[in-house]
Amino acid sequence: MPTISNTPRPGYVYDSTDNVWYPIGTGTHSHSEIASTIVDAKGDIIAATAADAVSRLAVGANGTVLTAASGQATGLEWATPSSGGMTLISTTTLSGSSTTLSSIPQTYNSLFLIISRITGNTSNKKLRCLPNNVNNLISQSGTKGNTGQKFDDSYIQLTGDADISRTDIENSWQLLITNYTSSTSFKPFQFSGFFVDQVINPAVNYGGSFRSNTAITSLVFDLEGTNTFAGGTVLLYGVK
Amino acid sequence: MSRPMIRIHNVETDEIIDREMTVAEFKIAETEQTAQETEKAEAATKAATRAALLTRLGISEEEARILLGGN
Repeated sequence: MPTISNTPRPGYVYDSTDNVWYPIGTGTHSHSEIASTIVDAKGDIIAATAADAVSRLAVGANGTVLTAASGQATGLEWATPSSGGMTLISTTTLSGSSTTLSSIPQTYNSLFLIISRITGNTSNKKLRCLPNNVNNLISQSGTKGNTGQKFDDSYIQLTGDADISRTDIENSWQLLITNYTSSTSFKPFQFSGFFVDQVINPAVNYGGSFRSNTAITSLVFDLEGTNTFAGGTVLLYGVK
Repeated sequence: MSRPMIRIHNVETDEIIDREMTVAEFKIAETEQTAQETEKAEAATKAATRAALLTRLGISEEEARILLGGN
């Protein structure tokens, strides 16, 4: 309050609505501004710890992102962002009468496989994939060339009802299996590809489901019966 | 006679095991092989019979489909 003749005197403002002069600078009042000294370093932020209470949250490490975290005092924390995308889990060279990809990690949302350059040793046979080595749980339909086909079978039939030419490496497939860790629902799959069968050399495009509530932990590839692989590669990716 | 080999690739540890099929595994594979060969022979016989019939009738595969009301 200003002082005139050693006497504290208030100032006044005129309110034209009320037609009244109001004194200013009198009475008690409190300050609730946040002091700038609360922060200590570049990037520090101020966050509420409760109603009408604030605290400093120190800047996180480079590349981290601010994430809600109810367990923290400020309800926030700096965290490494989820990478997303695909991670190459394994590269497998097919060999023997069957090749099993075992101990598949259960930390992804989906499995994506690229299967290519398959050849056999004895005769032309169907290329198949069996989840968990459990029979009779595959329903699959789609097209081979321009022909619609449906299978209720033990295996994912990557060549439909056709035999792959055992000596021809011009073949490849992409196979996506979603929800593979679920213990409560079936696992849809979808694949497309091309192979040489020395008849129509078809492109294939199928979808279906592994009708099991058990998480998929292994995938078995074979060429039917006792026929053996001469070559072929399976790239297994985990998809977040 | 030795049984076929099988490969097991532990994708977590990257350990690869190549081993001979067990007797039980081999028996299942052989049974499947026999069943498939029988199925294929039957399919081939059926196709040959069909082709012979079409020849006797003097019509094409396409014409047979039309005759039977297929598309």
